[in-house]
Amino acid sequence: MIDKFVQWEKNRHQYAKDWKARTGGKVMGYFCTYVPEEILYAADILPVRILGSHEPHDVTEAHIFGMYCPFSRDCLAQGLKGRYDYLDGIMIAQSCLHIRQAYTSWTKHIPVDFEYYLPMPNNVQSPHATPYLTEEITQFRKALEKWIGRELTDENIQNGIDIMNENRALMHELYTYKKNDNPPVSGADTMEIAISQQMVDKREHTQALKELLAELSGGKSYSKNSGTRLMVLGSENDDIAFIKMVESVNGTVVADDHCIGTRYFWNNVKPNENLVESIATRYIERPACPSKDWIDRTRIPHILSMAKEFDVKGAIVIQQKFCDPHELDIPAITKALQANDIKTLFLEFDVTVPIGQFKIRVEAFLEMLQEDDLF
Amino acid sequence: MAKEFWRWKEYNWKSETIDWKDGNTVSCGIDVGSVSSQAVILVDGELYAYSSMRTGSDSPMSATNAMNWALEDTGMTQDNVHYVVGTGYGRVNVPFANKTITEIACHARGANLMYGNTVRTILDMGGQDCKAIRCDEKGKVTNFLMNDKCAAGTGRGMEVFADLLSIPIEDVGELSFQVDEEPPPVSSTCVVFAKTEATGLLREGWPKNKVIAAYCSAMSHRVVTLLQRIGVESDFVITGGIGKNVGIVRRLSQELGFETLKTNYDSQIAGALGAALFGRALAEKARN
Repeated sequence: MIDKFVQWEKNRHQYAKDWKARTGGKVMGYFCTYVPEEILYAADILPVRILGSHEPHDVTEAHIFGMYCPFSRDCLAQGLKGRYDYLDGIMIAQSCLHIRQAYTSWTKHIPVDFEYYLPMPNNVQSPHATPYLTEEITQFRKALEKWIGRELTDENIQNGIDIMNENRALMHELYTYKKNDNPPVSGADTMEIAISQQMVDKREHTQALKELLAELSGGKSYSKNSGTRLMVLGSENDDIAFIKMVESVNGTVVADDHCIGTRYFWNNVKPNENLVESIATRYIERPACPSKDWIDRTRIPHILSMAKEFDVKGAIVIQQKFCDPHELDIPAITKALQANDIKTLFLEFDVTVPIGQFKIRVEAFLEMLQEDDLF
Repeated sequence: MAKEFWRWKEYNWKSETIDWKDGNTVSCGIDVGSVSSQAVILVDGELYAYSSMRTGSDSPMSATNAMNWALEDTGMTQDNVHYVVGTGYGRVNVPFANKTITEIACHARGANLMYGNTVRTILDMGGQDCKAIRCDEKGKVTNFLMNDKCAAGTGRGMEVFADLLSIPIEDVGELSFQVDEEPPPVSSTCVVFAKTEATGLLREGWPKNKVIAAYCSAMSHRVVTLLQRIGVESDFVITGGIGKNVGIVRRLSQELGFETLKTNYDSQIAGALGAALFGRALAEKARN
């Protein structure tokens, strides 16, 4: 069953093209997980997250600053290389300047039928954040209605919420298995599932998740790895090769705080009479991206609670090079984890990960957490 | 063929007082580094023999050569060794290793034996990287940092300068102090750029001892920042080949404000020694 998710992740562009041919529907590329996909599903549009390919850069230098994060440059490179040539629309919800630059450069150089910048508030802790986002999502809904040529009814919106909620709830269920002493799904496979979640039609993904969960509840295991329990957190991370390397040296990634992973699905929409407001509330209250995690750092208690829940022994703290919001948070997060007896390893990521250099760091980190009896 | 000034002396040693046949556990650590390889043989935890030689292009062969040289004239063969631990960049290429352990853990463990259990900070200045390591009283790593993306501040960088200036590598340290005053450091971010800068200084008429002083100074500055990031707690020691270069050791001590501990052991065998100590523990663990 895992293979299905792997195939989706590996053949993401072909999947979207096939979906389009099969359904006749529109495909929307999106840059940040603050985009309210509920509205897109309400409009029968397939949301596909723009991600990089982890190949050395060769096309972005003329379009984006070199000191913008490798992820934002890698995303833009995919557009410039024509790999998302099937998109009908492109959008972003405000998160950080780097990914916004990738979006604006994309809209300038790669024509699509529809483009939308959703001003997601950064100060999500302000009492004005939810009413502000409610109004912005309402404006987005109207723009979308104009583009597709039909009204989105509350029934449509409710349908969008149901599709997203069901899928997110199943991901939660999958993660409960990762609390086991011997998690039946590896960290690398979990990442395949999490990446495919952001680009495959949620209804198909949900069906596959149900089948996988049925297998797991029947005792099936896809992983023989029962190494040291690790959490990975920090900047955007879809580097499966890195997670595979960590797990090849007897680490087991059981939890994460990334926008590919738990931050994407951790909370659900709790529908009220005003459906758009309930969607806005979900995005305001979700585990925050560090660009929005102020004045209080709400991620720290969230990460500590997750570490305890998943019995984490060590945390690998990742920062995409030049990612200032994460960099600013790292000292505080590291201090909090260490105060709770969770050792940390900091690694700076680039488009291509230097596996050899990182491997020795990860191995040494795992040795720090193991083998007391050798001294 | 022009003289290669970077070529440091290879050597081996064996104890005259220990008879390995009297020991219960013979363990071996093989450290295949990017520039040098060492083999250390312990008999019941006591240093019995070792070798240190340059790593060739074939890591398994380097490991075998280092092992064979350490065994030379001992009457011991590989079959008499109970446990072998491979470490260093080529650790996975030690064909006869029972287990691999990173050089970070091994240097901390080795330094604990070489300098005593008061050691809390180790700077391992290796051939192509540099590691600042913190450890506890047992020699177990509590934290570490490695240099990133650049070989400045490493043994290979020093070899490049020895060759450029035609100074035998063993003389670099002392010669770097034969200056009227400490020159400003050369570029510390890249060996290649530093070499370009040094070539310019030579053209300007700087004597070579002043240029090598400028490079030793740059190297010290660079590793001090690495140490400061992790926090230096005494006792502090330097392992690896650069630990033998007084041009770096003294400047570092000055910048940090305290002396490094001294030892009768060879600082270059710290990794292999740590590996051999782990090997002993693993052999005894397997036996029990």
